Amino acid sequence: MAAGPLSSQQPISAHVAAQAVGALTRVDPVPGGGDLTEFRVVQPAIMARVDGPARLSLLTTLDFEGATISEGELTAGTWGEGFIDRRHPHTYVHELLLSGDDLLGRTDGPTRLSLTAGKGFAPFGTDDPMSRPVLRYPVNHHLAQILERAVAIGAVNRGALTAEFGLFNGDEPEQPDQWPMIERFGDSWSARLTGRPVRGLELQASRAHVHSPENRAGAGPDQEKWSVSGRWEGPIGAHPVYGLVEWAHTSEADGFFEFSSLLAEGAWSTGPHRLYYRFERTERAEEERVSRFRTLRPHQENSILGITRWTIHTAGWSAVLLDRSRVTVAPLVEVSYGRVAEVGGGLFDVVSTYGRDYFWSWTLGFRLEYGGGPHRMGRYGAALEGTMPHEHRGM
Amino acid sequence: MTARRLWWTGVIVAMAALAACGDQGPDPVDPGAGAPEPPGPPDPPEPPEPPSPPTDGLALSITGGGHNVTERFTSDLWVHGEYAYTGTWGGFEREGNPGNALKIWRLEAGGAPTLADSLILPGVGTVSDVEVSADGSVLMLSTERDTRAGLYLYDLADPARPALLDSVHVAEGLHTATLGEIAGRRYAFTARNPGQPALTIFDVTDPSDIVLAASVPIPPTYGIHDTYVRDGLAFVFAWDAGVIVYDVGNGIRAGSPESPVEVSRLVTSAGAVGSPSVHNGWWFHNPVTHEARYLFIGQEGPGSIGASSSGDIHVVDVSDLAHPREVARFHLDGAGTHNFWMDEDAQVLYAAYYNGGVIALDVSGTLSGDLSSRLIGQVRFGDETFTWGVMLANGFLYASDMLSGLWQVAVEP
Repeated sequence: MAAGPLSSQQPISAHVAAQAVGALTRVDPVPGGGDLTEFRVVQPAIMARVDGPARLSLLTTLDFEGATISEGELTAGTWGEGFIDRRHPHTYVHELLLSGDDLLGRTDGPTRLSLTAGKGFAPFGTDDPMSRPVLRYPVNHHLAQILERAVAIGAVNRGALTAEFGLFNGDEPEQPDQWPMIERFGDSWSARLTGRPVRGLELQASRAHVHSPENRAGAGPDQEKWSVSGRWEGPIGAHPVYGLVEWAHTSEADGFFEFSSLLAEGAWSTGPHRLYYRFERTERAEEERVSRFRTLRPHQENSILGITRWTIHTAGWSAVLLDRSRVTVAPLVEVSYGRVAEVGGGLFDVVSTYGRDYFWSWTLGFRLEYGGGPHRMGRYGAALEGTMPHEHRGM
Repeated sequence: MTARRLWWTGVIVAMAALAACGDQGPDPVDPGAGAPEPPGPPDPPEPPEPPSPPTDGLALSITGGGHNVTERFTSDLWVHGEYAYTGTWGGFEREGNPGNALKIWRLEAGGAPTLADSLILPGVGTVSDVEVSADGSVLMLSTERDTRAGLYLYDLADPARPALLDSVHVAEGLHTATLGEIAGRRYAFTARNPGQPALTIFDVTDPSDIVLAASVPIPPTYGIHDTYVRDGLAFVFAWDAGVIVYDVGNGIRAGSPESPVEVSRLVTSAGAVGSPSVHNGWWFHNPVTHEARYLFIGQEGPGSIGASSSGDIHVVDVSDLAHPREVARFHLDGAGTHNFWMDEDAQVLYAAYYNGGVIALDVSGTLSGDLSSRLIGQVRFGDETFTWGVMLANGFLYASDMLSGLWQVAVEP
């Protein structure tokens, strides 16, 4: 984010950042067979953070995908919130949180205690893919993050250890203009323990219970979720390096459905250039579709058509060609190859749906950022290593 | 709320440690667990014991049909006279075909079904329910998905060639439709799907002119799935809202099809499925004991269609209709129940059980607790079976299997 105090005479400062990505994407095949190519503006967002007195801070991310990709972003394998093989648009208010950090000041010594409330990420899993190097959203987005909920989060940091606990509403949004069902606040919880044994290395383990995420009225099955990850961000030699390895698992309907994900990604930068790669193997539920890219909402029952496993390699390159007045422009190229397999039984048939059991996709695009682009979404208050989120964003 | 939040903050570290151990907290909103128990009247005296149940069991043996619908997935069935009718399901296309077909079967002298014709319904994605009026004059279909979902009535003057009489379009689709004869008129009690789930009642006395009689909203916790109508009562099976009993002409609450009046409701236990998932039912009128004491409820738990299923049969004592109470349950390992039929004279409940095929349950006498010992018969339709519905007609059982079509089954003691 761009760091610029509104007034050096007052203990209030504001930091603003923004980004948008223009992306020409081709996927072959899409549901129903054949290929599809689209140009869309994805991840258009404005991020702002205001640090005020008494260690209070207000953080917001406004996301305009509801306007630019109301029918979703063409992304083989992604799913959630009624979309399939298209990544759903996020809600207009992606984050809006008030944090009180280091609430006890010096009375608890070096310990930081914070409380955060508002709409945002539950303390679970890894960072929002929007703040990571690969443009393509992973299939495991809804296994590895819990987003856009009404949250109340307590966090304690002491030295290299941070513990977070959050209460939130289980329902996920179904439309960009939808707000969390406040009457369901507290029906779900999550906890995350983070350790930073050496500078640059972050290890986390988290656990969540989510009540009826896919049925807002509360009739859907519950999810038990686990996540473990290791994250590196720092220089190796003279080059900035980022790496993430994560395992995520969701058990649904008292274990009737089990979904696992293994993901590893990394980025290496030299000068203005950045090379990156992701490997992902993730299982997803196959639901009844009402069209090629939409699933039946609201649900009528808890049955699915089967489970598929998506194994995807994604490689990319980007380069900052312009960096002026806090504005950067970076073209990017991304290529993905994936295979799809049926896991267990059920009616779903990969080949009859797609025409074959593997896919290619590529994206040509350019990333436009102001003020450094997105912060690390999903950590608030004492869960941030420092006090300024822009210091810790993904590469 | 502030105190609660501070308390939680104080136990963050302990909870994180517990979470890492994989401990699963209780479901905070188990609809059954927190529901206040309505005050009930004293238990009625136990009736005299009926004749002994057929403890030797029933032999259910396949005698005809099967592997006769391969281009679509089969849904519901109805048998009347020398003809049977089966719907098709289009939640996933088979060989590129949606569930837009009604299959018409001629029953041979031995009762085996032979495909006579198929009726294609344009703009329909699933034929979700099939019923023929008791007099055999009208065929009724409920349909879902696509642009022409709704209710369809056909003239069966020629049972091999149903002729469309009238239809109504319902945008959300109708999951089921049940005929009921009340005060000399005929009604269709239909289950309108979410997002506006409702018990929607049509007057179909004149089948060429379907008239809306009433629409009763049902809680959106998956809404209404099926209705059982008997003696002027409509039992609405409404998933997490449980079973809701309406007076639609019985007289105990002065209700009518045009103005249903709720008598009572009960949320049955969730069990291992995690949700009541109240799907269907049958109100048993026992000709041996002359009681109408038990309501059998099908619980449709999570499943992977075509492969696995879950959910139990729950038994509710409705001898006091104002205060129904759950008294017994039947669980079958590895499979979940779907639609029912009863041989009331023999006191046997037949239940389609998806990957479990069809089971027969002895429901004579007093039902209490675990009914696993009441299982007296089971038939599966090959290694790949996923049975939707079952019906007793002409001395045989007929079963519709999603994967393999219409089957004929002989029942022998």
